[in-house]
Amino acid sequence: MTLLTLRGITKRYPGVTALDGVDLDVESGAVHALVGENGAGKSTLLKIVAGATAPDAGTMAWDRRPVTVHSPREALARGVTVIYQELALVPGLGAAANIYLGMEPRRRGLLDRGAMRAGAAAALADLGLLVDPDRPVQELSVAQRQLVELARALVREAKLVALDEPTATLTAHEVAHLVAQIEWLRAKGIAVIFVSHRLDEVRRLADTVTVLRDGRRAWTGAAADIDGPTLIRTMVGRDVVFERRPPGRAADPVPLLSVRGLSRGWVRDISLDLARGEILGLAGLVGSGRSEVARLIAGIDRPARGTMTLAGRPFRPRSPADAIRAGVVYFPEDRKQQGLVLGMRIRENITLAALSRVAPRGWVRPEAERELAAAAAVRADVRPPEIERRTAHLSGGNQQKVVLAKWLLTDAEVLVFDEPTRGVDIGAKTEIHRQIRALADAGKAVLVISSELPELIALADRAVVLREGRVQGQVRGALAPEALTALAFGAA
Amino acid sequence: MSPLRSGWLTRYGVVAAVVALSTFAAVFAPGFFSLGNAATILLHVSTNGILTLGMTFVIITAGIDLSVGSLLGLTGVLVAAALTAPGLIAAVGVVGAAMVATAIGLAAGAAAGVANGTLTAFLGINPFIVTLATMTIARGAARLVTGGVPIGFPPMGDPAFQKKVAALDALHAFGGGRLALPGSTSGFPIPALVMLAFVALGAVVLSRTRFGRYVYAVGGNEEAARLSGVPVRAVKVGVYAISGACAGLAGVLITGQLRSGGPDAGMLYELNAIAAAVIGGASLMGGVGSAWGALTGALLIGVLNNALDLLGVQAFWQEIAKGAIILLAVLFDVWTKKRNGGSAHD
Repeated sequence: MTLLTLRGITKRYPGVTALDGVDLDVESGAVHALVGENGAGKSTLLKIVAGATAPDAGTMAWDRRPVTVHSPREALARGVTVIYQELALVPGLGAAANIYLGMEPRRRGLLDRGAMRAGAAAALADLGLLVDPDRPVQELSVAQRQLVELARALVREAKLVALDEPTATLTAHEVAHLVAQIEWLRAKGIAVIFVSHRLDEVRRLADTVTVLRDGRRAWTGAAADIDGPTLIRTMVGRDVVFERRPPGRAADPVPLLSVRGLSRGWVRDISLDLARGEILGLAGLVGSGRSEVARLIAGIDRPARGTMTLAGRPFRPRSPADAIRAGVVYFPEDRKQQGLVLGMRIRENITLAALSRVAPRGWVRPEAERELAAAAAVRADVRPPEIERRTAHLSGGNQQKVVLAKWLLTDAEVLVFDEPTRGVDIGAKTEIHRQIRALADAGKAVLVISSELPELIALADRAVVLREGRVQGQVRGALAPEALTALAFGAA
Repeated sequence: MSPLRSGWLTRYGVVAAVVALSTFAAVFAPGFFSLGNAATILLHVSTNGILTLGMTFVIITAGIDLSVGSLLGLTGVLVAAALTAPGLIAAVGVVGAAMVATAIGLAAGAAAGVANGTLTAFLGINPFIVTLATMTIARGAARLVTGGVPIGFPPMGDPAFQKKVAALDALHAFGGGRLALPGSTSGFPIPALVMLAFVALGAVVLSRTRFGRYVYAVGGNEEAARLSGVPVRAVKVGVYAISGACAGLAGVLITGQLRSGGPDAGMLYELNAIAAAVIGGASLMGGVGSAWGALTGALLIGVLNNALDLLGVQAFWQEIAKGAIILLAVLFDVWTKKRNGGSAHD
C-alpha cells in the first residue's frame, strides 16, 4: 500500500536546483533505497519528507490524501521519523530521556520517569540493544545511538522511517545488526527510506530503488531488476566518470615523506612513503582512519608513537603552523568548518596562510596582498576571480578553489587533500583534479583522500588502503576498483 | 570601519545615529551645541572609549573581558601608590615618578591581560569564567592594597607633603589636563586626545597588520585559522594583553584626573565597554568589529547621557534609554544580516 506519494517536487537554492520535478512513491512494509552521487539531491529530498524544508513546487500525499507539511513537528505527528547522519540526540541525556524528548509522559504534571524508562527499555530490547536507558547517550557508540533513534521511532509508532547513510561509519558487524533491524521494521509494516552509498547493501536490503542524478529522478524500479554496474552507470550517467590524467613525470625514486609506525588512539602502526611527482591515494571507508592519518602528518594532532622524516630529516610538527613552515599542508575535508573564514573576503582567506609574504615585519602591504591574492585566485580558477567578494556567498566549488589558492601560496612541498571535491559540481571537480595533477607534475608530493572510488582511480598513481585504523594493503599501478573495494571492506 | 561588513547602513548606521542624536540635542538641549560641551562629552567618553577599544579586540576573537573595570581600579591604586612613594620621587624626581607610575599602570594592566589570555588560550578555560575570576581577584587586591580607602592626597603634616602633591599634579597634567584650543576657554581634554590617538592606533593595527588580520581570522573561524598556521593562542594572549593595557591606561588617566586611586573605581565599567563595543558593531559571535566602531559606540552612549543630562532627564530614565539603545543596535544588526540574505545554502 502506498503510504507517501511525492509528485514533481522541486527545490531551488540560490544558484543550484537541488531537486527538479522528482516523483517518489513509498510503500508500507517495504524498503525504498535512494541512491545517487554527492549533490544528487538525496539529503534535500529527505529534508522535504521530514518537513524541515518546504519544496518550491510539487505535491505530497499521505495515505492518498494530499498534505502540506510545514514543520518537522507536523511530519512527526503524522508518523514520519528521519534519522540524519548527524544524529539528533541530546548527548548528556540518557536513552530514555532522548526517546521521549518532546512527548514526555507525565503524571500529575511531573515527568513519569518510570514509564519512560520501561518504554525505552522495551523499545531498545526490541532492537537488540541492552543498555541502561539512563546512561548518557554520549557514552554510547555511533551504532548504539542510531538504535536509540530507531527506538524513538518505534515509541512514536512511526509509519515511515528514513535513514540517511546510516551505515557510513559502522563496522561490518554493526552494519549486519542494523540491516537485521531494518528488515524487522519492514516486517512490522513500516515504510523505510534508506539512503546509502554502499550499493551492495542497497541491492541486498531494498525492495525498490530510486536513483537521483543532478536533482532529477534517473530511474525507479525493483532492486532485483538492476545489477551493480548498471546502477553505477545510472547514478553517474556515463560509463567513465573522470578522465584519468596520466602523470607528466615519473615519481622520484626516493620518498620525500616517510611515515613509520605512526599511532594515535585507534589508528595504529601506519607506514607509508610519498615521493615527489606522485599522487598517493589514501583509500578506505569513512571511519577507517584516513583523516586521522592526514591530521597526524599535517601536525594537527600529535602521534603517540611512530616517526616521520621529510627529505631525510626528522619531521615532528607540533602544530599546523610548524608543518606549514616545513612545507606540509592539509586541505581539510570540511571547508566551512576548517577551510575558510566564511565572514572574510576571498583575498583575506587566500593570504591567511602566507600573510608574512606580504606583511614584512607584520605590516600588511595592501597592494602586494591584492596582487598576490589575485594571481592565486586566477591560478586556482576561482570564478569570477573577484577577490573582494565574501567567501560565505560562493558556491561549494568556488569555496574549495579559494582553499586551494590559499595552499598554493604557501609553496608547500607535501600537499594532503582530504575529500578535495566533496559537494562540488562536476565542472569544478574536473578543474580541481587538473590542479592536483599539475601540482604533482611540478614536483610536489601529493596525498589524496577520497570516498569516491572513481575519483581515486582517476587521480592516484597508487593507493594505500586503510581499514579500522590500520594499513590493510597497497595497490600499485592502475588502480582496479575491485581491489580497492575488497581491501577497504576487509574481504581480501 | 570593519573590513568584514558591507553596505552603507551597516557601515555608517551608528555614525548616523550619533549625528542624528547630536542634531536633536543641538536643537532641543540648551548648551549642547558648544565647543565646551563637546570637550566635556569627549572627556567623559575617554575612559569608556579606551576600555571599549580593548574590549573590541577581545570580542572580535569571540572572547569577552569582564576584568577591565576591576583592573582599572587595581592599576589606579598601584599608580597612586607608586606616585606617592617618597623613595621613587627622591630617585627620579616628580615628573619621573609620574612617568614611572604610568608605566607601572600600563604594565600591570597588560600583565593581568596576559594572565587572562594565557588561562583562556592555553588551558582552554572559557574567557567569561576566567575574566570573571580575575575581575573578582583584582577588585579584592585593590581593596587589600589600600585597606579599602583611596590612596592619593597626603594628610596634612606628611613629611613628604609637598613632593607628593607635586607628583599628583604632574600626573594630573596628563589625566586632567587640557590643551589650549583657539576659540575655546576650556581647551581640549588630554584624555580625549589620548583616546583618539589610541583608537587611531587600534584601527591601524586591526586593518593593516598581520596581527590584526589574525584577530579577525581567530574570531571568524578558529579552527580554519589554526589549520592555516595562525598562532591562535598567541593571538588570544595578545588581545587580552591589549585589553588589560587599555584598562591600565584608563586607570592612569583616572588617577591623574582625580589625584587619587580609589579601590572601587571602575565598578561595572566592563559592562559599559561591552555595550559600547556591541553598539559599535562588534559581534559577540566573533569575527566582526572595528576600532572606529568602538569609538562611535562609546560616543553614542556619551552623547546620549550628555543630552539627557542637559534636557534634565532623570538618571534612571537615562539607564533605561541606554538599555534600549543596546537592544536597538543588536536588532539593527540582526535585521541587516537577514536582509543581506545570509547563507541560505545547505
